[in-house]
Amino acid sequence: MESNEVLIDCQSVWKVFGERSKEAIRSITERGLTKREILKEYNCVVGVADATLQVRRGEIFCIMGLSGSGKSTLIRLLNRLIEPSLGTVRVKGRDLSTLDAAALRETRARHIGMVFQSVALLPQRTVLENAAFGLEVQGIPRDERNRAAETALAKVGLSDWKLRYPRELSGGMQQRVGLARALTADPEIILMDEPFSALDPLIRRQLQDEFRQLTKDLGKSAVFITHDLDEAIRIGDRIAIMKDGVIIQEGTAEEIVMNPADQYVADFVAGISRLHLVKAHSVMMPLDQWCRQSPGLSPDSLPRCSPEADIDALIGKITGTGSDAIAIGHGGTTVGVVTTRSLLLGVRGESDNRAAA
Amino acid sequence: MESFVTTFDTVVDDALFWLSDHAAFIFDGIRMVLEGLYDAVLWLLMLPPFWVIALVGGLVGWRVLGWGFGTGGAIALAACAAMGLWPETMQTLALVVAASVIALLIGIPLGVMAGLMPRLDRTLTPALDLVQTLPPYIYLLPAIALMGYGPATALVATVIVAVPPAVRLTALGIRQTPAEFLELGQAVGASGAQMFLKIRLPFAISSIMAGINQSLIMAFGMVVIAGIVGSGGLGETIYGAIRTLDIATSINASIAIVVLTMLLDRMTQAAARKS
Repeated sequence: MESNEVLIDCQSVWKVFGERSKEAIRSITERGLTKREILKEYNCVVGVADATLQVRRGEIFCIMGLSGSGKSTLIRLLNRLIEPSLGTVRVKGRDLSTLDAAALRETRARHIGMVFQSVALLPQRTVLENAAFGLEVQGIPRDERNRAAETALAKVGLSDWKLRYPRELSGGMQQRVGLARALTADPEIILMDEPFSALDPLIRRQLQDEFRQLTKDLGKSAVFITHDLDEAIRIGDRIAIMKDGVIIQEGTAEEIVMNPADQYVADFVAGISRLHLVKAHSVMMPLDQWCRQSPGLSPDSLPRCSPEADIDALIGKITGTGSDAIAIGHGGTTVGVVTTRSLLLGVRGESDNRAAA
Repeated sequence: MESFVTTFDTVVDDALFWLSDHAAFIFDGIRMVLEGLYDAVLWLLMLPPFWVIALVGGLVGWRVLGWGFGTGGAIALAACAAMGLWPETMQTLALVVAASVIALLIGIPLGVMAGLMPRLDRTLTPALDLVQTLPPYIYLLPAIALMGYGPATALVATVIVAVPPAVRLTALGIRQTPAEFLELGQAVGASGAQMFLKIRLPFAISSIMAGINQSLIMAFGMVVIAGIVGSGGLGETIYGAIRTLDIATSINASIAIVVLTMLLDRMTQAAARKS
């Protein structure tokens, strides 16, 4: 499903809040002032600073940050609910800032769905009417929009509830309706603004898995905001970590856990279990290094795993076979070796070749 | 200082006289429209015998508030007729209905605009404060100067008093749309009109209904005071009773007013709760 087509292209986007934001922006471009200087000189708050990201077709892109990190501002820049102070946001190749009001409404209606933390289901409408709201706004006839809404409700497992009112539903079910509403209009991109943050942990886990499955099945792209790194890892193909309005690191979960960009990220990932996250190719030592360490032994005599095997699988292999080392390779070629030592380091999120160097 | 005050008073007097001399056609026109509306409503209310109206009132009361309120309401209306005050009661009702309809036709659109435009709201608020703090008698004077003795004058004064609550509560309802729903409207690409009709208005309905209820209550208060300017109805009955110290009649008329006020107040409140 994944391709290299870029659906959202966000280049050096800034958002500065405050009365003197125009002057502040000018001094950012002309003098390169930092956020702290902007606050001091212009009394303006930099919500998002120089954010660059690309979301490709079929991928789930998570933006993780604590409250005040600018993640909610950033996601609203992607459908121009908030006007960027500087930089460009392209959706499917079209620069949002060049769109007039009608074209912008059209883009939001057809291409970018949004799901909110507060869910925002209209209390006077039934579940079905809420799910059909996006199409209603587009002027689609009632029969047609209700059919689409019923299909979407079926996908989130709420077919039996379509004539109920939102207040009759639990929090988790309400958020499912919110997701169905976003899916009804069949957009390519879904923006998820902390959709599961207000739910209790078990329901949250369940919805995370359902959401990921559904998004992948339907071939949608999603930008998912969260303050929970576990959630980001569970859901995201790629993760961007934000702090004080800046994206401080972007990569796959494994890249971030294995190579945190700074102490802040390192502290975040410290508590994350590596068992299913870290793969053999990150913890193995190069084949020649192993050969030097263990003269006389041949990698062909070792049990084998693929480079994509995770630590949990490697531990299983080692405890199962009794061997202290596993050869890693595709087919017949061995590319490296995982030893008990490198495995233990991997559990801590370090790789053996770095420790040896 | 004193000379300034006298000058100011003279200017106001002169302006009023000038208006009644030169713009008489305008005020005659307004008077004709108002009296036409009043006469039409009254004609409708006096068309059937009193017990039909009492029965209809009872039925509506039963529908919105249950059988207890319904029977009570019907009996209370019949009692107004038994006291020999049926025409006066209907005249008062016609005044209130006519004045409230006009007040709502002005107040609700104005409130919607104020709710959408904070600047209009800021200019309107002190004006509404002024209208609501001045003693209500004041509005009778210019009205009587321009339109003479009669129900039209009572209607003008009543409309002035009944407009502010409708404006305020409508504006409040429109303004208090939860932010997340405005964001939802934007995110699904709603136009300005859709934003208003599908998102703001449904959230504002209960506040607007409360405004309608408050306008009615204000109208009742004023309609009684307007008895002084020959409004007809219970207000004039009470005014006449006060002048002749006819305590019995004044009590009867007061009871009739209470009956009407309670009926309309409770029914509109129930309607507001349901929306």
